[in-house]
Amino acid sequence: MSPELATSLPVLIAAAAALGLALAMSPPRVSRTSLLARGGTGLAGMVAIAAAPSLDLVVLAVLVLAVLHASLHGKRDFASRLQMPAVAVVLITLALLFARVQGPELLQRLAAVGLAAGIAACVGLLPYIHVLEPEDMAVASPTAWIGFVGPVAAMAILIRVRGLLSPDAGTDLGAMLIGLGLVNMLWGTLAAWRAEDSTRAWHYSFMADWGLALCGFGLTVADGHAAALLVLVSIVFGRLPLYLASRQALRENQSADRPINLMVAAVLAGSAPFAGFAGRVLLLRGATQMYWPLALVLAAAMLLWLPVSLRLGRTLGRPRGRQAVGVGIVIAANALVGLYPLPLLALAGR
Amino acid sequence: MIAAVAAFLGWLGASIIVLADGRRGLAVGLAGAATGLAAIAWQDGDGVAALIVLGGGGAAALLRYRSGPGGWAVMPPGSTPRLILCVAGALVALWFAASVTIGPGGATRFVVLSVIGLSGARIVSSREPSSVLTAVATLALATAVATDLGAGSAGPVPFITAVLIAAGALLLPVRVANVP
Repeated sequence: MSPELATSLPVLIAAAAALGLALAMSPPRVSRTSLLARGGTGLAGMVAIAAAPSLDLVVLAVLVLAVLHASLHGKRDFASRLQMPAVAVVLITLALLFARVQGPELLQRLAAVGLAAGIAACVGLLPYIHVLEPEDMAVASPTAWIGFVGPVAAMAILIRVRGLLSPDAGTDLGAMLIGLGLVNMLWGTLAAWRAEDSTRAWHYSFMADWGLALCGFGLTVADGHAAALLVLVSIVFGRLPLYLASRQALRENQSADRPINLMVAAVLAGSAPFAGFAGRVLLLRGATQMYWPLALVLAAAMLLWLPVSLRLGRTLGRPRGRQAVGVGIVIAANALVGLYPLPLLALAGR
Repeated sequence: MIAAVAAFLGWLGASIIVLADGRRGLAVGLAGAATGLAAIAWQDGDGVAALIVLGGGGAAALLRYRSGPGGWAVMPPGSTPRLILCVAGALVALWFAASVTIGPGGATRFVVLSVIGLSGARIVSSREPSSVLTAVATLALATAVATDLGAGSAGPVPFITAVLIAAGALLLPVRVANVP
């Protein structure tokens, strides 16, 4: 197995598990065959992205997924849904062009800018937030990018970019990722807290988690990358299935304050003993190694997750039947990864 | 000389895609861009890639010719900003390829930058699926040709993938608008 594929393997496994859980939890009005076909196509695309031997093929695979995703039936038209992923493809391809040609050092720095911007556009982060239509099905909405395809795409790009950029440009890319991460963290938590619509609040909360992941990638130490991996796993097999489980309650405008809602809030807030906590601890350790004031800022920003998570936990309503089992599995898996993350990190070669 | 003509043809094809709204105009633009990109790949010493791009781009152009809004619709009223974009894009790409960067492959740098830039602009600015998908096809082909700028050969895989994207994108069912 190639090291690139191995690095993305935990996220791929988490995505496959999330798809299985989504199939099991899906309400009767949603066709399971259709969900399996769409989710399976997305998963196949993610495997192709992770296994691609070069960054050019990663970009082409992202383009395929962008076209297929935009062609799904939804509230927004084809062209407007294709815009941001296509912008990502253009930015990353231009970044590759700048990185490969001979010229002034500035071109390498422009390549770093293009890569950071391309990743933000691909995932749907500030300043390239994908437009969310709350009534859209989750599979056809930007959630598919921010919670399912995006984690593997971003990892694949950032792993393969090593050796392509000069050391100075690599440092610049790291700094930009940290900057983008902090901005998305603040924007995501505050917007999720203030948003009137709960579906939008969920979407912003994904952005906040992505802020942590970007900061992890930006730190050029092993702890930072391990933290990013854990945060991405917690997005794909934590936040995403919990969001899907809350869709029914969101539609019916239900909310509840039961113990299960508090447990879900704890998972979403990244509190101990869940996966998000391990990721946050590693992130703070990595930031302390690099530049301790950054750890201080990160620690302060992490406090913002609490009110948002309590709000989102309530939107789950009262899960019953298969949905309750699914939520239980997510909580248990996140607790397991949080308590003992080493096998997952070892799988990724960390 | 051949490289310069090929680069010009690539830019011209991408410009026609930006300027046209009808299926005939889009098909001619795609065929032109594919021919230019294939010639550039040939000049870079990658004959197999050139044949793949030419064949796949030609097939995609044929598919576009057979479906989409009718007519040519090249430069419909209100196209001045698009025309300015094409000319400005060419000037920026020329400046980048000839002045900012150094070394061999200036024509490749020009055609890749101009085609990717113009295709991206078309995707972002258009609401019509047939125009957007034609630009996606061109973008995929240009992305594959950009691999020639890297150290060592990338092999035929990126080109085959790009051609499959170009043809596959044009097979997607699209809404047909009534363009005079």
